[in-house]
Amino acid sequence: MRRLRRYGTLIGFAGIVAAFAVLLPDTFLTTRNLLNISQQVSMLAVVAFSMTLVMAMGDFDLSVGSMASLAGVTAAAMFQAGHPVPAGILAALAVGLAGGLLNGVLVAWVGILPFVATLGTLTMFSGAAFVVSDGRTIFGRDIPEPFAAFARGGVEVAGVTLPALTLAALGVFLVVWVLLEHTAFGRRLYAIGGNAEAARLAGVPVARLRIAAFGLTGLGAAAAGLMYASRVASANPTQGAGLMLDAIAAVFLGMTMSEEGEPRVHATLVGVLILAVLANGLTQLRVDSYIREILVGAIILAAVGAAGLGRILGR
Amino acid sequence: MTTGGFRAGNSAGAMLLAGLLALAAATPAAAEGRVTVVTPYLAQPGTQFYVDGFKAAAAEEGWEVNVIDTAGDIAAAVARIEDAVTQGVDAIVINVDPAQVEAGLAQAQAAGIPVVGMDAGMHPMLATNVTSNGYAMAVETATYIVNRIGGAGNVVMFVFDPFPPVQMRGVIADAIFANHPGITVIDRVTPDVQDGGIADSRAKMEAILAANPEPGSIAAVWAAWDQPALGALQAIEAAGRAGEGIVITGIDANPQARDAIAAGGNFEASVAQDFIGIGRTAAGAVARLLAGETIREPVIYVPTRLITAANVAE
Amino acid sequence: MRRIEFLGLSRAYGGQPALVDVSLTLAGGEIHALMGENGAGKSTLIRLIAGVTRADSMRVRIDGAEVPLASAADAARAGFRFVHQELHIVPQLSVAENVALGRPLPRRFGLAVDWPRLRAEAAAALARLGAVGIDPALPAGRLTTGERMLVRLAALLVAGDAAPRLYVLDEPTAALTHAESARLFAVLRDLARDGAAILYVSHRLDEVMALCHRVTVLRDGRVALAGPTLEIGRDGIIRAMTGREPRGAARPIERSDAAATAARAPVCRLDKVAAGRLSGLDFTLAPGAILGIAGLENAGQSELLRLFLGEGRIAAGRLEVLGRPRPSGPAEAWARGIALVPRERRAEALMPGRTITDNVVLPHLGRLSRPLGLARARAEARMARDMAAQVRLRFRALGQPVRSLSGGNQQKVVFARALAGAPRLLLLDDPTRGVDVDARADLHELVRGLAARGAGVILTSTDLTELLELGHSILILSAGRQAGLVPAAGLTPETLLGAIYRAGERAA
Repeated sequence: MRRLRRYGTLIGFAGIVAAFAVLLPDTFLTTRNLLNISQQVSMLAVVAFSMTLVMAMGDFDLSVGSMASLAGVTAAAMFQAGHPVPAGILAALAVGLAGGLLNGVLVAWVGILPFVATLGTLTMFSGAAFVVSDGRTIFGRDIPEPFAAFARGGVEVAGVTLPALTLAALGVFLVVWVLLEHTAFGRRLYAIGGNAEAARLAGVPVARLRIAAFGLTGLGAAAAGLMYASRVASANPTQGAGLMLDAIAAVFLGMTMSEEGEPRVHATLVGVLILAVLANGLTQLRVDSYIREILVGAIILAAVGAAGLGRILGR
Repeated sequence: MTTGGFRAGNSAGAMLLAGLLALAAATPAAAEGRVTVVTPYLAQPGTQFYVDGFKAAAAEEGWEVNVIDTAGDIAAAVARIEDAVTQGVDAIVINVDPAQVEAGLAQAQAAGIPVVGMDAGMHPMLATNVTSNGYAMAVETATYIVNRIGGAGNVVMFVFDPFPPVQMRGVIADAIFANHPGITVIDRVTPDVQDGGIADSRAKMEAILAANPEPGSIAAVWAAWDQPALGALQAIEAAGRAGEGIVITGIDANPQARDAIAAGGNFEASVAQDFIGIGRTAAGAVARLLAGETIREPVIYVPTRLITAANVAE
Repeated sequence: MRRIEFLGLSRAYGGQPALVDVSLTLAGGEIHALMGENGAGKSTLIRLIAGVTRADSMRVRIDGAEVPLASAADAARAGFRFVHQELHIVPQLSVAENVALGRPLPRRFGLAVDWPRLRAEAAAALARLGAVGIDPALPAGRLTTGERMLVRLAALLVAGDAAPRLYVLDEPTAALTHAESARLFAVLRDLARDGAAILYVSHRLDEVMALCHRVTVLRDGRVALAGPTLEIGRDGIIRAMTGREPRGAARPIERSDAAATAARAPVCRLDKVAAGRLSGLDFTLAPGAILGIAGLENAGQSELLRLFLGEGRIAAGRLEVLGRPRPSGPAEAWARGIALVPRERRAEALMPGRTITDNVVLPHLGRLSRPLGLARARAEARMARDMAAQVRLRFRALGQPVRSLSGGNQQKVVFARALAGAPRLLLLDDPTRGVDVDARADLHELVRGLAARGAGVILTSTDLTELLELGHSILILSAGRQAGLVPAAGLTPETLLGAIYRAGERAA
């Protein structure tokens, strides 16, 4: 019974998939559609995976969406100025890392609450994105063909083309999974999340790790911004804005699956998939896009509420 | 209490399942034509008119239309186009730069589902794009000026070459003015558009007025869109030279421009796009495609309308 | 004269008795002291008579008539008023509002708050306490701790639907200055003269001797002694508080070992160190030695231990640990073999939701991991299992969250963590607080064993018996100053407590 509580969200996910499979018998459970879903969600997934790093410490990062936008327009502006593709990508990732480290410094050294610190940098990064792009969408000839081709490409395995974006997201998943589950670094992050003062007194360099984790989250957000820009072959200063709330929602959905309410990256993956499957299936069922948003929000609340309720009653 | 958790955990799934079934029951089974409209910009007034026009025409055809707004999210627009393809709709209509959603267009093409652009931009993967003719709009106002000043006089132009749809208007006006030896373009101004374009246009126009103090030394102001025209109007009125008969024209016929035209001052004309017409024409294009026709023209132009004091109230 | 009798109070927590058949009789007009060491049951007693905690058995009689006491509302109805150690005031509200807190505010025409009347009532209550200097309109957050205490007392005076019959004050002078304390005593005497009974809980012997008519001493949840303060006297109270004879455990390590280790370099050496409120720290800890830190509550014990973790700025003197200057922070400290068992288990030591393994191996992850920081789950589990066996941890699975363990076993997890790296300096901050007798004996054995293998141990404890059982020598801290360093041999809890109080008096 205890296990069933833990797996409530997973069962809910299976129920959702089963429902769509029944309602959309010809189109939902097809290889094509599943690959589509994996590709559609890849950017959100990358943000959510890297967000899991800071959430393991009990912090969170509101600036990931605007960082994704900033990274996208940074790369595009570099391309516009005639720099080669690798230079643009490196510049965008460097901006992401620097922005993330700034978040970390604000939280760990200056001592600002993560909510406030990253709310501040959210606004800063967003403003910077407008400055870099001059408020315009950079598209068309300014985006080099190889950069846009990445998102359309893939690797063929056994007759199925795995989208490049999907593979990129899987790569980030693996990296975060190894970091969190199989390194001393990850164990220390969870220790900070469990009790920061106790961790500090037990010799965990809390401030340094905070900064590092926020830096990695910024890097992940930048990677997602690049994937986004490649997918839409353009960059505008607000295009990543929607990623932040969905990423937090995905991590929360994942947290409902652990006994102690800890964010685990494989659980985050399930959370991400729930959001993606809902968006895909409900579109196919021709559910109005605004109704869809209400439904998705209600499902997040139901899952998190049910898990929270279960925990309280379980005491 | 572990059972309570189980119940609660499952109830979310159960609730969703029930909701989905209800929704599915409410959706009519495949009609003659199933068309999905995808736009990230539904909140913008122009887009709403396109969609209204399209829906009205689609209702006459008896199609089942699903309008999806991704609230500014381009990647989501790609995703929803892919979903529509998976779902196997009969046609897709987009109101978003096709270059940005090329990933979705490629899937539609592979699945043989036609995609029509509704003021989206030209693209080889679109069956066609329905829009207003930017060249024609410039023709309307440039010829209006030529006729009003009798083919002779000094003209000030406000242009914006960095943005292609506006740049093409300027090219046309250049050609028309050059065709009249009596007309001299004394300045071709690119205003700073950070603040919307009115304030800087006004400042630029004030400088030009100061440089040309003789009454009658400026016959007309041609602006590639309404904001510089409004700025020029303000400058002329502030300089006390409204009585000289300087003719101003803009393009787009936004509400502020319409007010100025209706007031009967120097701002005499602008050009309105027919948003509803674009929506209806897009529906027409879809109907032709569903009937099996191949549309040869990559762009279908919907006529625009010159707005002057005579018809501004309509 | 009014009599309030609490009869047969008993209460056990999880089978561990905290109070056993305690009876207490209070009389109107009398100030009655309640004393006892930490864990003797004072807090439990107060919680029972406040109606906050349900007693296993209790009868309450006021002037011979039985009254119910099952809830805080019952206590208020009976006319009992409490000032707890933590002062519950709302800093944003005015003094007057704080005085009226929890009561309906006076209103005009039943609607608007009658502010002038509210302030006048507060001013009257404060005046009764002789606190005419406090402006009722001031935000309470601007008051000193002593003034806040007076505001709380004023609130008690005006509160409730029954006339106050009993005031209970829990360590009221802990944060007060000398002058503030003196004013408080005057107020308490006034209240008593007006016929109220007062139960005064304190560690401070001088106050009790000067203020209280009668005293009840609790020890191990039972009444150890009760009677008129003057008859019992200072020494009698100390004896009653510490009464338990030292357990005849194998206290000193074998002298031969000690002699062998003494030749080696000292574990730490402090040379007239001053840091923060600590001063005059001057001692050397030899390998194998256990140093006990004694003093009144909050005399700087924790700060002294934390010095070795690199915390606190050293203002004067020299501090050397393991032959080098002290570490820059906890991370370096653990890496150099300095281990800490913090005072607050929940706040400072454990990650309650994480597993036993995670909690034990945390400071040792660096050593346990492969290059590149890749963790070795099996090595971690092995360390946790070995240490769990060593500390005789009772658990279901290494993967269970530590919050599911009992208090004593949680503390053993903290010890397992500290001992896992075979530390060369072990810092123990009140290590057996809230730990049952068996676990306590286990932990003591571990500490002695570690010392016997050559580690230095510095220990603080609120339990003097523990200090004397474990410590080879005792350092007495008085308000942060090293007031003495004496061999533990020959000391009894009474003589030690006497020495602590004498040090305090000299300081004052």
